[in-house]
Amino acid sequence: MKPVLLIAINFVREQRWPILVLLLWVLLLAFLGLATDAARHSEDLLFVFKQVAVYVLAFSVFFGSSAIFNDRRSRRILSVLAKSVSRQQYLSGLVLGITIACGIYCFALGITGSWTLGEAGFPIWRVWFLMLCLIVACALAGTVALMFSTFLNPFFAAGATAAVMGLPAMVSYVTGSLQWSYVIPVYALAAVVLKSSFGASFGFPGGLPWFPIVWAVVETLVFWQLSARIFSYVDIAVSVE
Amino acid sequence: MDAALEFVNIGKEYRSLFGRRQLRALDGFNLRVEAGEILGFLGPNGAGKTTAIHLAMGFMRPTSGRGQLLGEPFGHAATRSRVGFLPENVALYPRRAEQLVRFYGALNGMKTAQLGRRAAQVLEMVRLQDDAKRNVSKFSRGMLQRVGLAQALVNDPELLILDEPTSALDPLARVAVREMLLNARAAGKTIFLSSHLLSEVELVCDRVAVLHLGRLVRLGTTADLLQAGQRTQIVARRIAADCFAGAAARNGEVSFSVPAGQQRAALEKVWQLGGEVISVNPERHSLEEIFLQVTGDLSKPAGAA
Repeated sequence: MKPVLLIAINFVREQRWPILVLLLWVLLLAFLGLATDAARHSEDLLFVFKQVAVYVLAFSVFFGSSAIFNDRRSRRILSVLAKSVSRQQYLSGLVLGITIACGIYCFALGITGSWTLGEAGFPIWRVWFLMLCLIVACALAGTVALMFSTFLNPFFAAGATAAVMGLPAMVSYVTGSLQWSYVIPVYALAAVVLKSSFGASFGFPGGLPWFPIVWAVVETLVFWQLSARIFSYVDIAVSVE
Repeated sequence: MDAALEFVNIGKEYRSLFGRRQLRALDGFNLRVEAGEILGFLGPNGAGKTTAIHLAMGFMRPTSGRGQLLGEPFGHAATRSRVGFLPENVALYPRRAEQLVRFYGALNGMKTAQLGRRAAQVLEMVRLQDDAKRNVSKFSRGMLQRVGLAQALVNDPELLILDEPTSALDPLARVAVREMLLNARAAGKTIFLSSHLLSEVELVCDRVAVLHLGRLVRLGTTADLLQAGQRTQIVARRIAADCFAGAAARNGEVSFSVPAGQQRAALEKVWQLGGEVISVNPERHSLEEIFLQVTGDLSKPAGAA
């Protein structure tokens, strides 16, 4: 477990600048909270909150699709995997790192959202539930991207991830059937955030949408295992250029 | 004696996408590195040295054959905690040297309590104790290579696999590394040393393996390889240079070489001529000569003169 944690922390450290850039969006929301009358502009605040929230999904794909490539291109991966670190542990570290990086953002957004939206009458527990949906969606999106990046360059890995996540979402949108969005439930979870309103409902039948959360966790574990399996066959010392 | 590292009939092919181009980097490669020795691993660029090392470290899989690292198949992660590895081009995360060495030690499962002491110790061994708090991104190439050595040594490994460890070092640092390698051998460690610096290899290695075009073309003890010449070098004075074929006169001394079997007759001839023998030595080749001979001969097309 220790190597996994070390690799995860190292990943977050290496990605500190993108994370800081991402946090600027949260700062924007905080600024709006300060500058506007929350009660009068509650819908606008919620709209900005939802927009800012889903950006992190794009970042999780960016983190996932480029993590292995960056380490291989810089050849830093060699000195890590020369230690008693298995490839599965290395990938677990990256998955955890991506989740922590997105978690930092979600936490900051949760704090800011609780303050700004809380003032506008949005239940605080619901802000944190949305953050839970978001972090689970990020973990899944990052892991899918990581899986593709074990054998594709970052550009194609990001494209493949977008296709895998987007196709079920598109079918769900066209057919109007929620079931399709559960195939890869990133869209289903993003929809929980995007459809949230000052009303009581989450836009999902049956109250709190626990099913996509649990299903996303299961899929994250499956894709993580699949990544490790594929990565164990990859010649990592071969130039990636 | 147990083998610390063993390659058994290893083949490795690199293929481009869809297999249109392929390159055979190693072909039926066999080598056994005994525990407690320093083995020099030589070969021209593209011979397959780094590929062999990367296979041993589990960075890639062989196309054919098998190998063992400290008794376990290549790629066994837990075994690597007993191995120290320095890659050819050292690439490290940008952080303070001491932090970095601790990070790599911790990856090897070392306890926090011993890490601080050991990190300071290895940084002192590579003479970076004064720069321990500096970020390695500000280091010169030579300093980076020394940090690379420090991270390879932090876990006090049984087997050290070093790919060009002294290529970026100044002469002083090279001497320090040479001493460190000899001390490591004295402490019972095994060292697998890939290098282009043949003089270094000649000084520290017990055995030498020469790889060329993916095949092992020469293997033997350093002493045997250097003394492979079957001739004797004789230096005498008070004789004319034209008494012996190929003799050269310099500062009143005449030096010439004769086949080892004719040594006695040559010495008697010197004495008969009233000369004085100054030295008689078996003719030694330098490792460089052997290297050039082996790789040059094999590069020539069949039938070439």
